[in-house]
Amino acid sequence: MATVQFKKIVKKFGDNLVLNGVDVEIKDHEFVVIVGPSGCGKTTLLRMLAGLEEITDGEIFIDNLLVNELHPSKREIAMVFQDYALYPHMTVEQNMNFALRLRKMDKAEIAGRVKEAANILQLNKFLERMPKQLSGGQRQRVAIGRAIVRKPKVFLFDEPLSNLDAKLREEMRVEIAKLYQRLNATILYVTHDQVEAMTLAGRIVIMNHGIVQQVGSPIEVYRKPVNLFVAGFIGSPTMNFLSGRLKLENGTAVFFNKFITMPIPAFVLPQSEAQDGREVVLGVRPDDVLVERPGGEKCSGKIEGVLEVCELLGHRENLYLKVGGQRVLATVEAFFNRSPGSAVSLCFNYQNMHVFDKATEQRISE
Amino acid sequence: MKKQLSAAAKRKRLQHFFIHAGIILFAGACVYPLLRILTVSLRPGDKLFSTDLSLIPAGATFVSYARLLGDTMFLRWLWNSLIITLATSFIGVSLASTAAYAFSRFRFPGKKAGMILLLSSQMIPAGMLILPLFLMIMKLKLMNTYLGMIIAYSVSSLPFSIWILKGYYDTIPRSLEEAALVDGTSQVGAFWRIILPLSTPALSIAFLFNFTTAWNEYLVARVVLFSSKQYTWTLGLFELQGQYITQWGMFAAGSMLVTIPVLCVFLYSSKWLISGLTLGSVKG
Amino acid sequence: MEILKSIYEVAWFILLIAGGVAVLEGYLYSHFKFYRKPLFEVSALIVFPLLGLLALKTFGLAAPGSYSWLAVSEVLILLFFRFAVKGRHTVPFMLLAPAFVGLALLLVYPFVFEVYLSFHDLKLTTIMMWKNTGTLPFAGISQYVKVFTTSPLSEITFWALLGRTLVWTFSNVFFHVTGGFILALMLNNQIRFKGIYRTLLVIPWAMPQVVAVLAMRGEFHATNGFVNIIITKLLDTLPFLGSLGVAPVQWLSDYPLLTCTLINVWLGIPFMMVVILGGLQSISSSYYDAADIDGASYLQKLRYITLPLIRPVLMPAVTLGTVWTFNNINVIYLVTGQAGGTEQADILVSALYKAAFTYNRYSYSAAFAIVVFAMLFFFSVFYLKTFDAAKDER
Repeated sequence: MATVQFKKIVKKFGDNLVLNGVDVEIKDHEFVVIVGPSGCGKTTLLRMLAGLEEITDGEIFIDNLLVNELHPSKREIAMVFQDYALYPHMTVEQNMNFALRLRKMDKAEIAGRVKEAANILQLNKFLERMPKQLSGGQRQRVAIGRAIVRKPKVFLFDEPLSNLDAKLREEMRVEIAKLYQRLNATILYVTHDQVEAMTLAGRIVIMNHGIVQQVGSPIEVYRKPVNLFVAGFIGSPTMNFLSGRLKLENGTAVFFNKFITMPIPAFVLPQSEAQDGREVVLGVRPDDVLVERPGGEKCSGKIEGVLEVCELLGHRENLYLKVGGQRVLATVEAFFNRSPGSAVSLCFNYQNMHVFDKATEQRISE
Repeated sequence: MKKQLSAAAKRKRLQHFFIHAGIILFAGACVYPLLRILTVSLRPGDKLFSTDLSLIPAGATFVSYARLLGDTMFLRWLWNSLIITLATSFIGVSLASTAAYAFSRFRFPGKKAGMILLLSSQMIPAGMLILPLFLMIMKLKLMNTYLGMIIAYSVSSLPFSIWILKGYYDTIPRSLEEAALVDGTSQVGAFWRIILPLSTPALSIAFLFNFTTAWNEYLVARVVLFSSKQYTWTLGLFELQGQYITQWGMFAAGSMLVTIPVLCVFLYSSKWLISGLTLGSVKG
Repeated sequence: MEILKSIYEVAWFILLIAGGVAVLEGYLYSHFKFYRKPLFEVSALIVFPLLGLLALKTFGLAAPGSYSWLAVSEVLILLFFRFAVKGRHTVPFMLLAPAFVGLALLLVYPFVFEVYLSFHDLKLTTIMMWKNTGTLPFAGISQYVKVFTTSPLSEITFWALLGRTLVWTFSNVFFHVTGGFILALMLNNQIRFKGIYRTLLVIPWAMPQVVAVLAMRGEFHATNGFVNIIITKLLDTLPFLGSLGVAPVQWLSDYPLLTCTLINVWLGIPFMMVVILGGLQSISSSYYDAADIDGASYLQKLRYITLPLIRPVLMPAVTLGTVWTFNNINVIYLVTGQAGGTEQADILVSALYKAAFTYNRYSYSAAFAIVVFAMLFFFSVFYLKTFDAAKDER
């Protein structure tokens, strides 16, 4: 297995800057997920590592070997494509051993490796079939099998689950997680789905507009998003954002806007003169909006709001609330037995409150 | 409610009757000349020019076929046509398949100019290039030879073939070649091992198109070939159809012999051919 | 035995071409491989033209100025590689090279040669001189003047031909499209025997054109053609028609252009039908369902749904059909081209073919061809411009 380093990677398509100085380091045996909205450059980065895309500027190392000019086949990587890219004119077995045949490997060795991979992925029954005769999930497994038999230094996954339906996607997610435990390989996995990122990754790389926004473990990026983009991108349902201003009252910072006024305790925000008059955005996850519950000291004071819409999800319920003109989403335990239009009181949990500077969009560290 | 439905059904039945009648009329007009050739080819020699309209003539006989194969060089003409056509199609398709791949998959300086050149070459009247080609072939001392014909034909269908193949390659996902690259082939290897095998339908269309164009060609053959031993079948038939009553039956027999296989191939492959043509024309 | 000989001859030729392609690819490859090396230009300038000269010598094609021509082209190719290609795009250029060399030799060069011919005087009396020395008397624009002042055949003028060509093109394309459209609409119903009908209807297109045209020509024969037989039989059963002026017609000698048009319409309808049918089948039926709910009549659906939606399929087909019809020598030549044939049916392109190969007026025909090409070219450019403009509007 191997390490991968991206150093100051720049990619331009004509005048269009797709990647702007990406620095990421992937350790041995690490499962790294690159996540971001479509068009953020994540797939381009992966394809540059595979050698399918020219590198405008910067350097890529695999196992400390500079691979910028190396042909894809010499990089000892294997890739699982979004549309699987199974060769339609070859059987499953031929698909899986194509790369090995190209390397003129010993016949017995090839058969052994294919058999092993087929066992892992439960493909034994399908080896003689053509890709056309397989279901979506089976094709996906063949694509993975084709990567496994190579025993590459790095596995690359390019949105592998996006063509599957919801149920199958969940199953395959678990399969991939199990596979990782079994192979203990270096994996670079690209997706736009933050749930996949959270569940699979050892570390997440969040990208937007060709720039790495944050790198960290799932829990880090969830608990301590470094900027507004990460805060909004990670977590479902999306975080509530309240824009407003800070003022200092008796040495305590107080957040206010047209509809809401509440003090911000010192463990959320360092209290200093500099905060006075600063424009900020408060972020609170829907889970941390407490509705009709006694607050306590880790919680803001009661705020009056109106219930607009309830969405029952089963064990949880989404409440769309309005405080003056400010919309707030709260997720509570089912069943919240109130009809739309009724008045409710809510408070915000300070423990998971995030404060961002409105101008720079960066987290104001505690 | 029930009454209304049956009225609608009745109207539909009437409508279908008219549609069938109309189509049968047109289809008759399409098929009839072919049937007439068949009739004439079966007529005994003394009744070739009769005003009889029956399909199987009285005293039907294969004597015209026998005379065609025995007394003329018809088989030789067919062979000439076949070898010229096969060589032409082979050269044309080989050149087109690689060029189309370059147009489909790569960005390079001059790509747009190349495409425009291909398209505008379709604007050149076919009759216009016959003269310079004829003079070139004369200068190369290839008059009345296979090679002269092959040279004259080989690029005539090239732009269209490139166009069709490019359209087809465009529908093959790029990720297949990328997968092959990652698996360890070179770019050319990916073309050879992945793209070509997958393009068999389009290659067949291009081959068929080259084949029929050269197979049915008349005007170039008219000026390049002058000894009847070297004639292609089109020239031979045209000669037969000429002046003498006795040859009219042989013309009909020859026509049947060339038409039947061509018709079979065309109808068998019409689905591919038509989809290829519409693909090409829609994208053009 | 002769068969073996012909196979040998053709196989040898194909091998020769394969060898040529290999040489070409090797040549390009060496350029891409070494163009950055020092002294490459100098050595290339000496090595490649010398090799080329050697090749020409072995085929007996070398002329006195060959080396300098080869050297000049080598300089051009070197400049091309240095400034346009810059050593990248190796693969596409190598893939394209054989096809484009073929096109250059057999399409572009003949075209240029045609232009050369049109400014010189090549005819039956000068062709031996050209064959032996390769030079021709210069004629300036006199050939072009002659195009507009003298007849390409024996009497018809350029302008009359032009008018006839336009009528021919327009009427043919019109009937092709209308006929194809009607047939496609009829076929696009849920009816029985659809497959059989479609097969029968494409027969005129599927038959070898030479056979189809000659067979149809037979049907227009004055006494033995189907058309006149029917007219005669009609007259036998309904004699009063004769007093209305119905009589057998000398199709080939009295109305040759009409005959050609009828034959070509018959030939061309299947192609249009197939293209339009493909377009019709690609229209989702939900549009028609929606229109039914909105209460549209059959004609309204035709006008507001079918026509706009098959436009993208129809327009290229019509363009192609127009160019094909304009350039159609085959039908006219096969119907009227035999010895003693009439020139009443000739259009521009068939006249230029006959001028070259029946009347042996080569340079005149070349000038004629250039004029026709220029007209077609400007028409296409104009047409594409308006077509593009219409596309942008949508």
